Amino acid sequence: MTGGFVDYLIDIKDLEVHYGSFHALKGVDLQINGGAVGLLGPNGAGKSTLMKTILGFNRPSNGTVNILGYTMPEHALEVRQRLGYMPEREVVSPNISAVSFLTYCGQLLGMSRVDARERCHEVLNYVGLEENRYRNTETYSTGMLQRLKLAQALIHDPQVLLLDEPTNGLDPDSRLEMLDLVRDLAVTRKVTVLLSSHLLPDIQYVCDYIVIINEGDMVKQGNVEELTEKHDKQYEVRVRDNKSQYMDRVVEAGFQCGEMKNGNLWVSQPNGENPQALFEIAKHCDTQVRHFHPSRQTLSEVFMHAVGKDS
Amino acid sequence: MPIYEQSYREYDGELRHKYRWVIIIQQELRVLIKSKFFLMMMLFAMLHVILRLLQVTAYDVIAQDPNSPLALAFSQIADFAVDNLLFFDFIRIQSPVVFLVVLFAGSGMICNDFNNNLVDVYFAKPITWRDYAIGKIGTLVLIGLVLTAVPGIILVGVHNMLLPGLETVKESWVWIPAILGFSLVIILPCVTAVLASSALIKSKNFAAISIFMLLMANSAFGATLAGVLRNPNYFVWAFPLTINRLGQVMFKDTRLIFQTHWMWSLAIVAVVTGVSTLIVCMKIRRAEVA
Repeated sequence: MTGGFVDYLIDIKDLEVHYGSFHALKGVDLQINGGAVGLLGPNGAGKSTLMKTILGFNRPSNGTVNILGYTMPEHALEVRQRLGYMPEREVVSPNISAVSFLTYCGQLLGMSRVDARERCHEVLNYVGLEENRYRNTETYSTGMLQRLKLAQALIHDPQVLLLDEPTNGLDPDSRLEMLDLVRDLAVTRKVTVLLSSHLLPDIQYVCDYIVIINEGDMVKQGNVEELTEKHDKQYEVRVRDNKSQYMDRVVEAGFQCGEMKNGNLWVSQPNGENPQALFEIAKHCDTQVRHFHPSRQTLSEVFMHAVGKDS
Repeated sequence: MPIYEQSYREYDGELRHKYRWVIIIQQELRVLIKSKFFLMMMLFAMLHVILRLLQVTAYDVIAQDPNSPLALAFSQIADFAVDNLLFFDFIRIQSPVVFLVVLFAGSGMICNDFNNNLVDVYFAKPITWRDYAIGKIGTLVLIGLVLTAVPGIILVGVHNMLLPGLETVKESWVWIPAILGFSLVIILPCVTAVLASSALIKSKNFAAISIFMLLMANSAFGATLAGVLRNPNYFVWAFPLTINRLGQVMFKDTRLIFQTHWMWSLAIVAVVTGVSTLIVCMKIRRAEVA
């Protein structure tokens, strides 16, 4: 298969990758057709290996990898022309400015020097490096280098963007700015983003589809909404006052109840009971229910469950 | 809402495929030219070219003019004539400068890309390890040629332009392939060895020192062997002398230091170049394809 109409932008089936005797990826199946996809997993789970296999750096020992309709690694050059990759490790190009570096990257992608120069100014403006574009990149801070890495991945307006831990080493403000940029790319610019991270909030902030990898296995994937499904007969409740009295009465009525980190209560409804009873109890405790919501699994719970650490 | 959003737009320009190694050569040269030390070394190397240009001019204009009062004086000076030996000596004397310039320019060429994690970025673009290797080797070969073959050929051209008639052209055109061949015999092993060192050693300084020490040790080894065994033919193991031997063959110089057949010298140069190129290619290929 080479280009043309495709069902999936990224279509990976039964992918296995070995590093010598080490089994880095064990039968990964992944189909992506746009949007922002989060690749979640602990360190060493195989996230970077998966990205490098998509780029054609790793040769699969089994399975197929089709990117934008091109089979990999046979058509690696065609795919790399349409892909943007932001590596995890810090990238510095000594003795040259950001403009020179990005122009060079653009030319490597096949742009003319004039096009690459024009484009690099646009991209540097976009990532917020416009004031420092002529500074030697060796003098850049970590945050600026992260932006530069993003800029070089965007220089040719890629269809698919692979971001490997884009918020590594960033302070909270820079982290939010970086995540906003990535979200803007996915939502406004309609670039398909594959974001790898072990930071759950980053993934949750940007992505609407999540893939969880652990020890080379793809253990769970789905929409954030689906993964953080509502608990059956479990509610998150907040009462105005008399919280402890309310909790006692709820337990006496046969419910299970506990306090959550955010101060709200979780209440589990036994079989045969009606949640209406929780409002009656509040009335008897001379308080008001201010928040009543079917409780959801947090992404953290989903992740811990998926990687088998939910003791 | 701003009337013009100063941000990036969709790129709808053409993306060409061919000759990415040319881009790499251009970029490496741009970076090198920014270095004052590199420019100073190049200028220093050009002093020799200027001296040879003066020599060629003096020989062709003054020494060939029977009416010139300086003609007799010039004809008395040893090695003043513009002949095959002048060009052989010119390139031979340039060779240490070529080695130092290549050492400075090339010792960090690969290891710096690895240390600064640029390799991941470059190979995520549509270039292959071949483009990368040709780009790096091509840059240094080009610099080497600028210091040897290019001025050598220009000197041949000047020599022919200053003398009337086409007789000298018939005599001197054979010097051009000899100049090119001898230059490449000096440049290729030097470039590939320096790049191999840069690919194997993580530090630019250590890579440069390693190659420098290796060359010193090799020269000492060849000289010691020839001295201890009282046979000058063992000089073939001293790399600078083995290159010199090939130059002597190309320029038909009969002032031989040792009598070992030149094919042995060619084999040594080919092995050094081949092994070094193999190291460079394997190391770079491993970065692109794990």
